[in-house]
Amino acid sequence: MRAVYGIVVREFVRFLRQRGRALSSVARPFVWLIFAGAGFAAVFAGRSEIDYRVYMAPGLLGMVVMFGSLLAALSTVIDRDAGVLRLMLVAPIRRGTVALGKTLGATLVGTAQAVVVAAILLPVVGLTPTPAGALLALVAVVLLGLALGAIGVVLAAGMRSIENFAGVMNFVVFPMLFLSGALYPVRHLGPVLHVLAHVNPLAYGVDLLKHALLTRWTDAGYGGELPIALDCAALALFALAGLAAAGPLLAREGGVARAAFRERR
Amino acid sequence: MTAAAIDARGLGKDYGPVTALDRLDLEVRDAEFFGFLGPNGAGKTTTVHLLATLLTPSRGSASVAGHDVRLDGLAVRRSIGLVFQETTLDRDLTIEENLRFAARLWNLPDREAGPRIDALLRQFGLDERRRDLVRTLSGGMRRAADIARGILHQPRVLFLDEPTAGLDPRARRSLWDLIRNLRAASGLTVFLTTHYVEEAEPCDRVAVMDRGRIAALGTPAELKRAAGVASLEEVFLARTGHELAESGTT
Repeated sequence: MRAVYGIVVREFVRFLRQRGRALSSVARPFVWLIFAGAGFAAVFAGRSEIDYRVYMAPGLLGMVVMFGSLLAALSTVIDRDAGVLRLMLVAPIRRGTVALGKTLGATLVGTAQAVVVAAILLPVVGLTPTPAGALLALVAVVLLGLALGAIGVVLAAGMRSIENFAGVMNFVVFPMLFLSGALYPVRHLGPVLHVLAHVNPLAYGVDLLKHALLTRWTDAGYGGELPIALDCAALALFALAGLAAAGPLLAREGGVARAAFRERR
Repeated sequence: MTAAAIDARGLGKDYGPVTALDRLDLEVRDAEFFGFLGPNGAGKTTTVHLLATLLTPSRGSASVAGHDVRLDGLAVRRSIGLVFQETTLDRDLTIEENLRFAARLWNLPDREAGPRIDALLRQFGLDERRRDLVRTLSGGMRRAADIARGILHQPRVLFLDEPTAGLDPRARRSLWDLIRNLRAASGLTVFLTTHYVEEAEPCDRVAVMDRGRIAALGTPAELKRAAGVASLEEVFLARTGHELAESGTT
């Protein structure tokens, strides 16, 4: 559909135009690799089965997609402030189409970042994926982008202003990251956190990425732990549920005339 | 088409306990230049957003270009252009990219949109700036680009919601020239909201709004005659005086 295509193109052009955002999104995982990698490697020292930086690689790719897709989708809040959301809502398309366009745009932005990062990161840590592994990794990245993009649009639809951004970082992004298995296996966590990890889309994405990239270390306990089909199904479910919720939330009135009316009084 | 461009019957909207629009009965004819005049908070923008299906009516009904706003929002939105009070352009895109984006939202194929965009940019004097980011443009140019965006899909009814807010006199003048030319060329119905009385003077008919109701309706000449005054401004002040005194906003 042409409108979806238009929204996706706009999203990508905006991303490319914001050089700082594009560069920092590519640099971020390497900062983690150097600093967090050094710290955790020291803690993990003595376990010779796997180099910690190799263990970290799938998680870092997941992190790239999380920041890329989630932040791109959260830009819907900026669209609201800038009036672009109004334009999309007054266009002869359904609200769900707007949500779908934003989600796919966010997926594309996150995937593009992950591909660029993977092209540098994997050689750096000395990981050479098999063709099948590379393909599965791409599937994981796209599915994770869809899930987080849809969730980002839902969060953005519920936010009144960009000021809630810090809250999202603290209560969504960081818990998601630390409960994802990106930095350490979550199976060692207590029961409550372990349960939380199961409602964390990033955990499924990272697990899928480990299936794709750490097959050699599966027996040592560092590969993917859940069935691949379950990971894919969970991510697809997050994406579909998010998309289903985002349309009506975006259409909710109050964002447009009502706020203007309140200011007047 | 014989149907009125806009036909509202008992249309109303409440925001919680506040009645923004009481019960609006209004018929705007095809190709009419209709002015919706009133102080801030009179319900002008609410009316536009109800007619554009951005809001759901609390009561009553309305049709735009023959389509019911409650039942067929997509058809209504396909038939109208809406220029909001605040710009809806993406500041990080060029004018041309903004128009292409809008064309796709309105489902225009690129090969059809291209020539239209070229023509509009020339007509609106934006041709030389087409590859410039919107953030680098003057307010008048942004407004012109907003309006170009609003008529790109050749709507039957164009809503202009306080289009001159924040523009300097020169930009204002060229905006009105532009709208006059558009109407002459296309027979477009224009629904203009404004709180500047002089902007309503060239309208075919004007509704003076006050606190969610129509306080007066007629041609500018009729309104002046009925009120026994010489200017539309006096009609405005006579019909909405208490509201101005209370709110004190500009």
